[in-house]
Amino acid sequence: MNVVVCVKQIPDPADPGALDPNTKTLKRDVKLILDESDSYGVEMALQLVDTAGGGEVTLVSMAPNSEVGGLRTALAMGAAKAVLVSDEALAGSDALGTSKVLAKAIERAGEADLIITATESSDGYTGTVPEQIAELMGLPSITFAKSIAVEGGTVKVQRQTEAGYDDVEAPTPAVVSVTAGVVEPRYPSFKGIMAAKSKPVDEVTVADLGIDASQVGWAGAGQEILEIAAAEEREAGTIVEDDGEGFQKIVDYLAELKVI
Amino acid sequence: MIKWSDEQEMVRQAVRDFIDTEIRPHREELEFGDLPPYDLLRKMLRTFGMDAMARDNFAKRIERERVAEAGTGEDDTEKSSGGGGARDANSVAFSMIPIIELCRVCPGMVTAMGVSMGLTASAIMSKGTVEQKERWALDLLTMDKIGAWAITEPDSGSDAFGSMKATAKRDGDEYVLNGSKTFITNGPHADTIVFICKLDEGNPPAERTVLQFVLDSGMEGLEQPKAFRKMGIHSSPTGMLFLDDVRVGRDRLLGGSEEAFKGTGGRKASKATFSMERTGVAAMALGIVDRCLELSVRYAKEREQFGQPIGGFQLIQLKLAKMEVARMNLQNLVFRHIEMAAAGEAIDFAEASAAKLYSAQTATEVALEAVQLFGGNGYMAEYEVEQLARDAKVLQIYAGTDEIQISQIARSMLGE
Ligand SMILES: Cc1cc2nc3c(=O)[nH]c(=O)nc-3n(C[C@H](O)[C@H](O)[C@H](O)COP(=O)(O)OP(=O)(O)OC[C@H]3O[C@@H](n4cnc5c(N)ncnc54)[C@H](O)[C@@H]3O)c2cc1C
Repeated sequence: MNVVVCVKQIPDPADPGALDPNTKTLKRDVKLILDESDSYGVEMALQLVDTAGGGEVTLVSMAPNSEVGGLRTALAMGAAKAVLVSDEALAGSDALGTSKVLAKAIERAGEADLIITATESSDGYTGTVPEQIAELMGLPSITFAKSIAVEGGTVKVQRQTEAGYDDVEAPTPAVVSVTAGVVEPRYPSFKGIMAAKSKPVDEVTVADLGIDASQVGWAGAGQEILEIAAAEEREAGTIVEDDGEGFQKIVDYLAELKVI
Repeated sequence: MIKWSDEQEMVRQAVRDFIDTEIRPHREELEFGDLPPYDLLRKMLRTFGMDAMARDNFAKRIERERVAEAGTGEDDTEKSSGGGGARDANSVAFSMIPIIELCRVCPGMVTAMGVSMGLTASAIMSKGTVEQKERWALDLLTMDKIGAWAITEPDSGSDAFGSMKATAKRDGDEYVLNGSKTFITNGPHADTIVFICKLDEGNPPAERTVLQFVLDSGMEGLEQPKAFRKMGIHSSPTGMLFLDDVRVGRDRLLGGSEEAFKGTGGRKASKATFSMERTGVAAMALGIVDRCLELSVRYAKEREQFGQPIGGFQLIQLKLAKMEVARMNLQNLVFRHIEMAAAGEAIDFAEASAAKLYSAQTATEVALEAVQLFGGNGYMAEYEVEQLARDAKVLQIYAGTDEIQISQIARSMLGE
């Protein structure tokens, strides 16, 4: 079974750098790493291929400056190869522009039984790319997967809901977005890290994918960022002094909130 | 080598992540709760495929040795106890990085691991027969089994050979072993023990041949009492070993014959082990210093006195600057060890001693200065530097005390 995983390479959240005041987007000229949200999809894909007893995991990523830092991490975990789309024309792409590029890159990656994405990236959070890819490729889309199994030509997903989960099925190939934290991403082994260096990364431009540059980047963006503002500071919490009856005050407070 | 390569950095990051999530949370139990370090170490090995790599390397080496044996009829012992051939720089670096990273949290774990996978396994790999390697060394290299290497005795420490009392006496085809060993890392838990003793043929002790035997825990007459309480490296259990008429066959005599150990051979074999033990100390010191520096810089920025961060005081700046100098020196030493191993150059005994002396003293000084920089907090267990300072001290004592290193360096210069 072949699985394609869309992975985003993002600035390290521990040291995210700065916002560009002109474009109102995150500066991406720093070293990029694998978005943690995507490590779950990579892990799931590796497990699926393992269970199937054959096939491979291919990564697809769109990133500036031919960045491969995050891809190497996922390759070291066990993915076999990657398609990287890197092109100056892509700067400023909105979610739909990104989806158009990724859809073409997925096609380039070869026959896939399944396309896995994260629910949303940790730096952009639009949370719309997986569904747009599915639509553009004419494939079924399942979101918020907490577990995935592929049997015959069917993908069976436990789809997380507020109350629990729904069992959902779709014919393959399909696009499935995975909820963060549902599996434990493996650490890359030392051997895996060594092997990652020589695994193929097929770097392509917008033109290589047959996309008109005016469709993507700032030129093609149908979405404009009007303003960016700092998030509100969290308000100071309530401090309960424990005079021996502290627990009762907490219980009363929680009851007032109707959480117990 | 001027810096870690991209892959080495990746390994470092992965190991650091693993240690932060899997080992750091157990620091309390390791430090104060007598949690043995072995299962955590095994988990680390398995996670990164180090056990599988050890198995592969072992198979290749045994294969080579079998070919060599068949070819020349004899193994070249000088070669196999020295630096060996050139090694891949990455594989050397990959063995150093976990040492450095673990020492940032728990130098005791490195001691336990180093004695088992390093000292004990190497003693068998350099002196043992192929059968002995297969029987004992592989399980040590993968940490499926825990090893101890026992030379020190209650009355014999720095003068390890001179005053050694442990004996082997021939009895037909067998030997009978007696003696007490102390300060033995992994002693209480070891499955496999390399026991170093003198062959008693009724001759004067100074002339006796030094032999090494491999013992299994549970053998009749072998006692492994529980660990001592000690100043630092609490995560490395240290204890005594008592041998009371332990009977062993020739199959447990390393090398399978007394010949290899005749004259000064036995002393040389143990010295080769000392050399490799000493080079590991630079990596350990680097980990300790790196962590102390990181914590100190953070604290110097955060802690305010007299209306300013203490980092603003020149006396604190001096401490930080000296720590950074130490870190750079230690890193260069580690890089040199990697380069030399990659070039197939063995580090000579005097250089290994010099590196060990510098590393041990530096780690202790830096860690104590970190305690000082943290003030009262530095003296409290909650702040890691307290533990690192206690842990660092042992580097000046085991694997040859500072004083012994100094005299060995001086002797090599004076040509004694
Ligand atoms: C935590 C820990 C783990 C250990 N693990 C092991 C192990 O796994 N296996 C093992 O066999 N041993 C082990 N040891 C023992 C260690 O190698 C010895 O403690 C060390 O070699 C010193 O010997 P000693 O303790 O008998 O000190 P001594 O030799 O009695 O030394 C006492 C003092 O005298 C000084 N001194 C001695 N001789 C001279 C000299 N000629 N010139 C100047 N000064 C001198 C020493 O430097 C020291 O300051 C361990 C020790 C510790 C503390």
